[in-house]
This record gives sequence, C-alpha cells and structure tokens, in this order.
Amino acid sequence: MTIQSWRLRDRYYRLLGSKCEDCGDEFFPPVYRCRGCGSERVKDKQMPQTGKIITYTKLHETLPGFEAQAPFFLALVRLENGAKVLTQLVDSPDELVKTGAKVRATVRRARVDGESGQITYGYKFIVAS
Amino acid sequence: MAKSKVYIASAGLTKIGDHWGKSLPDLAVEASRMALKGAPRVKPQQILVGNMFSAIGAGQEHLGALLASALGLSGIPAFKVEAACSSGGSAFNLGYSLVKCGAIDSALVVGVEKMRDLEPEEVSQALSMAESAEYTQFVGATFAALNGLLARYYMEQMNVSRDELSSIPVIDHANAVTAEHAQFRKAITADVVSRSSMIADPLRLFDCAPVGDGAAAVLLVNEKAASGARKAMTEVLGGQVSTAEFSLYERDDMLDFKATRHAFRGAMQRAGLSPKKLDLLEVHDAFSVVGALSLEAMGFSKKGMGARDAKEGKYSRGSDLPINTFGGLKARGHPVGATGMYQIVEAHMQLTDRAGENQVEGARYAATQNIGGVDSTSAVHVFGRAS
Ligand SMILES: [Zn+2]
Repeated sequence: MTIQSWRLRDRYYRLLGSKCEDCGDEFFPPVYRCRGCGSERVKDKQMPQTGKIITYTKLHETLPGFEAQAPFFLALVRLENGAKVLTQLVDSPDELVKTGAKVRATVRRARVDGESGQITYGYKFIVAS
Repeated sequence: MAKSKVYIASAGLTKIGDHWGKSLPDLAVEASRMALKGAPRVKPQQILVGNMFSAIGAGQEHLGALLASALGLSGIPAFKVEAACSSGGSAFNLGYSLVKCGAIDSALVVGVEKMRDLEPEEVSQALSMAESAEYTQFVGATFAALNGLLARYYMEQMNVSRDELSSIPVIDHANAVTAEHAQFRKAITADVVSRSSMIADPLRLFDCAPVGDGAAAVLLVNEKAASGARKAMTEVLGGQVSTAEFSLYERDDMLDFKATRHAFRGAMQRAGLSPKKLDLLEVHDAFSVVGALSLEAMGFSKKGMGARDAKEGKYSRGSDLPINTFGGLKARGHPVGATGMYQIVEAHMQLTDRAGENQVEGARYAATQNIGGVDSTSAVHVFGRAS
C-alpha cells in the first residue's frame, strides 16, 4: 500500500482525474480511454471540489485499517462536472446525510496500516450544512 | 467449429458450511472424486479449477497442477480460473467451450473455496479485491458497502419497500429447508430479515449471503466420450460470459446489470431457446438487491419490479419459474469461487431427477447466472434434459 499511495498521491490529495480532449467529458477515477466517446486522448484534470450525494451507506463492519473510524458513511457523489466519486463522508452528522445533499472535498487521514503503522492521506467529503 | 453436443456426465458436491477438519485441497478432491466416480470410464483431458482467494485463504496457488496431481491425473493441462465470485461459472464456461469446439473430449471442472479459516475482516479484505484496489479499497469500501449503496439507490429510485427487498432471502430460506447440502436449512419471514443486524445500511445481515467452505464439480463430455458415461446426463445447451464497466460508479445506469443482460441473451441465443421455456433459474443473489436486479436484467421482471414480483410469488416454489431451488446464495451458501459450480450441479440434479424433495416436477430446461463483482463479470449457462 505504501508505494501505491505515493504513486497515486495527486489522485488522492487533489482529486486529479481525466478530461477527454475530444468530447470534453471528465472522469474520476482517471480513465485510460473516454467512456463517452472512446477517445484515448485523455489528460489529467483536477476535479471540482463540490457536488451532491447520489446514494450513501453507513458501514458497521470495515476493512482492516479502518476499524477506528467505524461506523462511517460512504457516499457516491456527483461532482459539478458530472464525474462520480466514491468517498467517505467526515464531520457530517447523520441528519444531514441524505440523497441530494451538497458536499465539499477535504483531505484527511485515510488508513492506518496495522503492521508498519504507515498512515496514508486522501480525499474525503463533508456535507455542507 | 465442430458442433458436438456437450453433456454433464456426472457431478459431485460437498455440504456448504464450516469444514474445520478439511483443507481447500481436501474439499476440491472430495467433490472431484464424486464427479469422477459417476463416469468411471471417462478420463478427463483437462482440469479447470474455479477459485477466488486460495492465496489469501489457504496460502496456496497453482491449484490446477495441485488437483491434477492429487487425483492421479498428472500430465494433462490444468488451470485455475479466477473471476471473483464468478470464478466457478467462468471456469465452467472455459471447459464447456473447449469441449464444444472439439479441442478436447472431456474436462473436469471444479469450484472450491475455503472462507471459514479467515477472520471476518480478512474475508472482507479478500472479497474487496473483486473491486478496484486503488479507488474502492482505498476509501474503505467493503464489498457489502458497495451493495449497500446500490440497495439504497434501488429502493429510492424505484420506490421499493423494505418488505419487498426481503422477499428473495425468504424464498431462498424456504427452499433450503429440504436441501441436504445447504448451509442454513431454516425458513425465515420478511420480518426476520428487516430486524437482523445492520451491515451496510440499508443492507442487513439477512440481505447478505453467508461465509462458508465448499466445493462442487462436474465432468463434461462430448458425444464421443459420453459413450463411456452412465445414463442420466444433462446437456449443456449454451453459455456466455460477459463483462461490464468494472466499478459501479463507472456506469451510466447503476441499476442496469449489463454483464448479466448480455450474458443471458447470448446464452439463450446459443441454446436456441426462448426464456419462456425455462423451468427453473439459479440466480446470483449474493445480496438481496443483486438478486432483484439480476431478475430484471434477464427480463423476467420489469425494471424496478424484481423484488416486488418475488413478494407476489412469481419466483416461489410451484410457480412457473422457481428460483434458487436449493436455497440460492443466501441459504444454500456462497463459497464465492465455488458458487457458480454449485448452481450448475443443482441444475444437473433437477434435470436428471436427482433433486429429491426439491425436485421441480418435469423440469426440462434450466439456467444459471453467476456474477463476479457487482455484475462486472457474469457467466450464464443454459441446460436441457439429455434426450
Ligand atoms: Zn470523449
């Protein structure tokens, strides 16, 4: 996980996704080819930092490395450019988490590796109250 | 392409559950020996092993050669086929294709998984590998969480109630009561589902298939090799594996199970059969919402109606199209890489009148649908009573 998260740090810290140079569609996570028009002319593009919740769930059982955060909300967010991001929600009280709620991006501690103690950081979203 | 007919000459399976005293090779050998014993004059020319996480679960890879050696079949080609929870159905598809096109006369296909040796969070970690490590595991999404997101979306978009969603697990448990190899042989009500503990809101414990150990195997033969087999075979009429955008969030319409839609259509076309002809269907209901969306993708229910139709009795025992006749993933059990092979063995049992109390009277045609990921891969096969 260590080298992987270093390699992906721009993706994880800045929400760096892809923009298609032919049709203009934008994607996160980044793509190898445009899912809209099939073009392979895609380049890096930072995603907008705000969007709306499409759907969400509250996890009661987690993956190793996320135990301390449980239970937590996981949401699928549609950003203002149409790209979709799967993300954790933080600092968001239960009563504000609902379909259609506005959210904004932030950077937080993502996961603590049990064996090495390595901490990785990445994007999370907050419901705008 | 040669057009030999392909048959399941014989089959074997273990009960699903806690096999504390048996290893992954023990289970694979047990199911394989049963299948081989059913057609003693047939020598398989190839072995295909469907398995998802033997490396994590048992510290073991290289299952093809391992099983060939253990069965005294060293020398023949043998492979492990991995496609997450559709590993079993995918391995079968490969074996069927090789026999169908004339490359080989016979194949042993085995699905095996050992899940109960792992701690719950290790199982979650292993299952999450069916999805993107870089963007799904990274945010802490378990496999159940992705299905929880999907379940909420389905319920909100299609106005599906909690009771309706519970109806497929209820059918599964009712059918498993008389199924000898099933993991949970106890009937439940919708109320039990909706009061079970929360896993990934709105999905509760009884919306989710359990963790278990098991293996299931078949011996596939062409017409030439079939002369060495006993009577009561099942004909494999058609099959197809399809894939879709890998992750749920990469799809324009998350409620459209495209891989299943394409695989089902292709398999039925190859079989030359109208879906109306099917007498039973084994559906991949790893989560209640997945069962509902699968029934919709295959066209048996209209969009948004899968769970509602199940509640109305459309898929119950005694209906025109009973599903999950031995309990489905929820009650028969879901040893992930083996599940597709369990479905296929169950179709074979139905079409050769070996289903005991679970027999669908006069069943002539059956189909099985086996998903990997959240419908990232789907393997569908169609079977008929051998004439
Ligand atoms: Zn494009």
